[in-house]
Parts: sequence; C-alpha cells; structure tokens
Amino acid sequence: MDRTLKARLEARLSDHLRAPVYQRHDETEIRIEPGSVPEVLRTLHDALDLRFEILADLAGVDTGVAMQVVYHLWSPMTSDWLRVIADGISRDDPRAPSATFLWIGAEWLEREAYDMYGIVFEGNRDLRRIFMPPDYTSFPLRKDFLLPDDAARSPGAGVRHVERAHVSAGAADPAAGIRRAPAS
Amino acid sequence: MPAHQHAPRTSPARATTRAARPHPQPSADDASARQYSSADDPRVMLDRQVGALFEPIPPYPTRTEREGEFYSLGDGEMFLNVGPHHPATHGVLRLVLKLSGEQIVDVDPVLGYLHRGVEKICENSDYYHVIDQVDPLEYVSSLFQEWAAVLSFEKLMDVQVPRRAEYIRVLSGELLRIASHTLFMGFLALDLGGLTPILYSFIERDEIVEMLAALTGARMLFNYFRVGGVNGDLNHEFMSRLGDWMTRAAKQTEAQAGLLNENEIFVRRMRGVGVLDRATALRYGVTGGNLRASGVPFDLRRAHPYSVYPELDFNIPTRDEGDSLARYLIRVDEVRESIKIVDQCLHNMPDGPVMARLPRLIRPRPGRAWGACEGPRGMLGVYTISDGSDGPFRFRIHDPSFLNLETVPALLPGNLLADTMAVVSSLDPVMGGIDK
Repeated sequence: MDRTLKARLEARLSDHLRAPVYQRHDETEIRIEPGSVPEVLRTLHDALDLRFEILADLAGVDTGVAMQVVYHLWSPMTSDWLRVIADGISRDDPRAPSATFLWIGAEWLEREAYDMYGIVFEGNRDLRRIFMPPDYTSFPLRKDFLLPDDAARSPGAGVRHVERAHVSAGAADPAAGIRRAPAS
Repeated sequence: MPAHQHAPRTSPARATTRAARPHPQPSADDASARQYSSADDPRVMLDRQVGALFEPIPPYPTRTEREGEFYSLGDGEMFLNVGPHHPATHGVLRLVLKLSGEQIVDVDPVLGYLHRGVEKICENSDYYHVIDQVDPLEYVSSLFQEWAAVLSFEKLMDVQVPRRAEYIRVLSGELLRIASHTLFMGFLALDLGGLTPILYSFIERDEIVEMLAALTGARMLFNYFRVGGVNGDLNHEFMSRLGDWMTRAAKQTEAQAGLLNENEIFVRRMRGVGVLDRATALRYGVTGGNLRASGVPFDLRRAHPYSVYPELDFNIPTRDEGDSLARYLIRVDEVRESIKIVDQCLHNMPDGPVMARLPRLIRPRPGRAWGACEGPRGMLGVYTISDGSDGPFRFRIHDPSFLNLETVPALLPGNLLADTMAVVSSLDPVMGGIDK
C-alpha cells in the first residue's frame, strides 16, 4: 500500500474528491463526480508525480441505485493500482464524459459499457452497440434485467434464493426486487 | 417482465432501403404488366435477393460519426466483407474492409458473434461457479483467466495462498504460456500460407496439454485454480511427462522458431508491416507482447508483481520496431524465458499444502477488488464487487485481446489486402475472450 500516493492524490485532486481516498491491499480508490472525469484523468495522466499512463480497464457498474463508470489505471510511479469511480450517474438517463481524448482505446470499452448498461459517453465518436445486434433494445447487465432462467433462483444453486428479496407478487415498482450494491 | 426485454427484432429501415432501389418498371401498354404488380416480377425479386447478398451498407441509417464516415465510399473505393466465418479470423470475427484497388483504406471490425454474456452468468453464479464459467473465454490459455478471477477473490477475502500452491500456479501457467505462444507461431505462419509450422506447433502444444491434463484432469478448460490454492497437488504422471519434455523443450522450440525466423518469405512479409509505435500503443491500451514489441517494458510479472514472480529470475524481452515481425519475435523470446521459469519452479518447489483453509461457503465482506495477471496476450483483469452474498455482485472481465484488436483500424490502412491476416494474427487475438 502506497501511503505517499494518497497524499499526492489529495494534494492534486482535493477539489474533485467526493470521498476520502480509500486504500486496501495494493489498490487506491478515489471517488469523483462524473462531470470532473476529463479534468481528473488529465491530471492523473499528465502530472509528473502521478503519470498514470496505462488504462487497465474501463467498466460500467449498475449498483441498483445509480450507475458508475470505473477506471483502473497503472503508473510506473507507484506500486498501487488506482481505481477511479465516477459515481452517482442517473440510472434513468445515464451520461458520462468520454475518456477517448486521452486513451483512444477507451472507445471500444465505452461502446461495451454503452451496450451493456446504456451509459452514453459524450465525446465518443463511435458509440454504437458492440456485442449485441444493432436493433437490440435493452441493456443486459443492468440489475433490473433478470434472466428468464436465473440459476441462482433455482433450488439447489446455492442459498441465495432464500436470501434475495425477489419481486413480491403484484409488486408495481419494477426496481423493487433488484439486487443492490452495499452502501460505501 | 419489463417492456424493453425481448423486443421483436425488426428493422423497418431495411424495407425502405430496398423499396427505394430503382428497378425497371413495365410500361403501361405492356399486357403482362396489367396482370402482375412489379413486386411479383421475378426479375425484381431476383434483384432484391442479389441486393441482400451483396449490399455492404448497413440496412439502417448510420448512427455515429465514425460509422457515417466509414460507410461513405470515395471515388474508386469498394467494400469487402471478411468473415465472420473465415478460416483465418481466429474465431468468428468479421472485418468490413474499405478498399481502394488492393490497398486498404479503412477497417470496421464487427464483434459479438461469440458473445455469451459471461459477466451476467457470473453475476448469477457463486464464487466457485465463476471459475469454470471464465474458462472458455480465452480458450487457448484458460488458466490465466482463472488466475485473474481468483486473485481478485483472494484480495476480497484476505486469503493467504500457500507457497506451494503459488509455485504450482506459476509452473502450470508458464507451461500454458509456452503452449499458447507455440500455437500462435503456427497459426501466424498458417495465415501467411505456410502449412508446416502449425504441425510442429501442435506436437509441442499437445505434449504440454497432455501433461496439464494429467495435472488438472482436462485438456483445455482446466477449472484448476481455486480461491486459496489449486485443486490437487502435483502427481507422478505430470512430473514424468514434464521431466521428459524438459529434456528436449529448449531444443524443440529453437527448431520450431528456426523454421520461421530464417524463412525469407515469412520475414519479408512481416517486417515493416502493421507498425505500432510506442505512443499509439499506449493510447490504445495495448498490453502484453504487442506493447513490448513497441518498446514499452510493461509486463505485470515485473511491473506489478503477484504470486512468486519476484523470487524468480527471468527477463522481460522488448523490441523497438513495433511491426508484425517484432511481435512474433517477442513471443519466441518469451518462450525461452518461460522455459527458464519452469526450470526454476521445479528446483525451488517447496513442500506444504496446496490449499488454504477456507470455509466451504465463500462469503466475502462487502467490498471491491481488482485482480490482474499477465497472460500470453497481455493483462487479464477482473474487477469484483461483493455485496456479502455467496456470489459476485459485479464481475467485470477485462480481456487483453479486446484492446489489442482495437488497433486493427489503425494498423491496416495503407497495407495491401493480403497483409490483413498477417497483421491481425500477429496481434494474436482470441475471439472467445474478446466477445465474452
């Protein structure tokens, strides 16, 4: 765990952090507003004491409450992975700025997040579906997309079927039964 | 069921495009024209069918800036569709090429023919099921995908993996890396029209795969790594096969590499083709041998050490050219380094248990973890979110081939049509991992 990285991040990005820098094992995590993604990524990439040059991953997350875009970055300046979570994106109209101005490779990763979650990345030149057919209309990794034959709900596939709060009979709210991420 | 699920597949735009196509209209005084409408005219029907077969333009209005740019033809340009079923596409990859004569102007790779929704399946499975769900992703080197998954789970649960288990992981992983690289060399030559090297590749790979089958019980989809260790200790058959192979491994791989390294046709078709420079490679997020062939010494085994790699002595080969030949030669060098690692593992293998003591039902505390390892094609990563239940809440799989393949539209333009497959297969994509 790199304690100095925490100090450097706090010094550089204090205006943008939504939560204190969190560290566990070899991971450092920062949480930001989706609007400040371009500025934060630019700082992380360019600042001489950070130099996060390698975009390891970009992923969408549906917590059941909000959407997130999660970036994993690597830098030769530290032994930690850096996770940047752009949190609090609306589930009804998910929008986030694109990272393609820094990493053109993010184009396909954002296409995938759009395909799976419907997150619209503003600034991506090629935001169309990548895995699902072009006339497909839903977003399969969203938590309210339940599989017709969900193995976890069948008896014998673990114990989750008794733990999970499923859509109770006649529930009008479509979000009533979906699994939610723990608050933190 | 929400209305957005299982919507019928319709494309109204297709009908309008076809109707707008001009076709010969029968004149009013033609007797037959009064009996049949033009829709029944067999010539019109044939015209429509032929149009459906050879229409390169998507049957819908273009949706993005880039798509609009790609699907508008300049003077003298044409489209050529390669795949999805083509012997040289390493799975089911479709490339729409825009050609000017024999020169490639632009490429639009079309993915998703192998999409199985593994992430969704994993989010509906428990932690034990996930390990065998991720196996078929990179089916040429499935141990690495398992490795990334268990690294992430072990971080979530603060598990200390026994040293012997770590050595067994490194040993089996490096053997599989050799198998994967030799297969790459064979298929690369095959895509360039050379039939012989693939036969030698399969001899080499079969020996390794058979010894791994003795260790794990399966030839390709191993399901061997466990959270906290591996499933089963080294056994006699594995060790005797491995000892047998190690006596001639170095010689055999040199002989196989010599088949291609000194082949003038091969070298001249690879050198200077598909050059990926350092800055572009970083901007594309390329990892693995493809990045090291562009001069960036980024290998997670050294850059972000995991398992027992810090204790082992090996080099990270890099090259500066960044062309297809460099990407091939990097793999040849990596096979040599892997043989060194296997040798060290056999000498340093400690005694002890191969599994940590864990409860039968895994329930990590709520949290997030990112685990990444260096596979034969680059960095394999897994991001897991736990909500405290017995399965992952979010299971994100990052596959290196996905970003490696993304460079194809940057590498191909300017090259000849015949070089398409030389460039694509020098990037070593595996569609099972790309399409998830």
